[in-house]
Amino acid sequence: MGQRDVERFERVVLPHLDDAYTLARYLLRDEHDAQDAVHDAVLRALRHFEGYREGDARAWLLAIVRNCCLTWLKRDRARRSVIPFLDVASAEPVEPRATDALAIERSDRAALERVVAALPPEFREVIVLREIEELSYKEISDVVGAPIGTVMSRLARARKRLADALRIGAKEAG
Amino acid sequence: MRCAECRESLSALIDGELDPSAAADVRAHFADCADCRREHDVLVDTSRLLKEGLVRHTAPDVLKARLRSSLAQSRPFVEPLERRTRSWITLAAAGVAIAIFSSGITLGVARQAARPSAGDEVLSSHLRSLMPGHLTDVASTNQHNVKPWFNGRVDFSPSVPNLDSLGFPLLGGRLDYVNNRPVAVVVYGRREHKISVYSWPSAGGIGTPVSPASSDVRGYHMLTWTADGLTYWAVSDLNRDELRDFVREFTATH
Repeated sequence: MGQRDVERFERVVLPHLDDAYTLARYLLRDEHDAQDAVHDAVLRALRHFEGYREGDARAWLLAIVRNCCLTWLKRDRARRSVIPFLDVASAEPVEPRATDALAIERSDRAALERVVAALPPEFREVIVLREIEELSYKEISDVVGAPIGTVMSRLARARKRLADALRIGAKEAG
Repeated sequence: MRCAECRESLSALIDGELDPSAAADVRAHFADCADCRREHDVLVDTSRLLKEGLVRHTAPDVLKARLRSSLAQSRPFVEPLERRTRSWITLAAAGVAIAIFSSGITLGVARQAARPSAGDEVLSSHLRSLMPGHLTDVASTNQHNVKPWFNGRVDFSPSVPNLDSLGFPLLGGRLDYVNNRPVAVVVYGRREHKISVYSWPSAGGIGTPVSPASSDVRGYHMLTWTADGLTYWAVSDLNRDELRDFVREFTATH
């Protein structure tokens, strides 16, 4: 790969490093693992840069980051015999909260992070890609390699689980 | 529209991913069904809470430094390590000879020069820092901005002396990756030249301070020394005498 290619790669891909790191942080739930996974992903992206045609560089990079993270999780799971995913229902109960999202306090944020971290990875990734990265369904479908209908239903189920875990609407429901 | 059908479409509706006629159907159903409307409101609140509450992380500087280092290795103008190492040893030996003859500094530095990999990495790191946008992570002429910037980024406190009055203005600091560890780099200027001062904890702990040893590689001059348990490397294309002056002031001030 020539110097020009590497420079073009840096120009096209590196602006999305924060997005890549954010996805890895949520998928791996560990800052050091996330750094390693993003590092691997960027080098992998560089090796496959010739295959990248003009298009959405962010979604392209996120797809590679996601695959690196999943490989990481598999390796991690093989290493530990117990799978540490909590079910949302068993996560710590959260006090019913006002739905006025304008005043999110620190404890609310922590609770939010906790319930998102407790989601299974296939739900967590669509939440991150939609609510933080604000990708369209089509882009999410490209990143996770699943049909748009699947993306839609995962997103719906993930939000439902989060709403239940955060007891949003619980007050009105009685 | 039935409730089951409506519920399936709610997420797509709030994401603006439903086609207009389907969206109109769902909204029409809300008029008849308070349950579905409430479910919709809950999802809207949930989504808003997530958007506002979830943390958008920033890639840490140490990750950026690692990537800079890895990407630089794929650049063709940075020669493969093996090829460069041999010439480095030769030149380092010449440099040590120069150091001994030109300034009468101690001989204790030969051990330092026999470890070429750090100097090699320092030089290529300095070279890539000269590319646009890579010189500093924190650009500041104030040592009281630069020094604290390293807190939490490296596990030691690098020297950042103020050498303005001596004609070596501070330009800033950056994090880099040498010897498989994050290192602190403090950048000074001298006319149009840049001087990078690398530091990291010495392998042998505090130990005895070692006076500067110099080496010249392809028009770049390098000086290395240890002090207060840190190994320092200064590298620049500044002429050798001025770099030596710089290091003398640097070590005298911190």
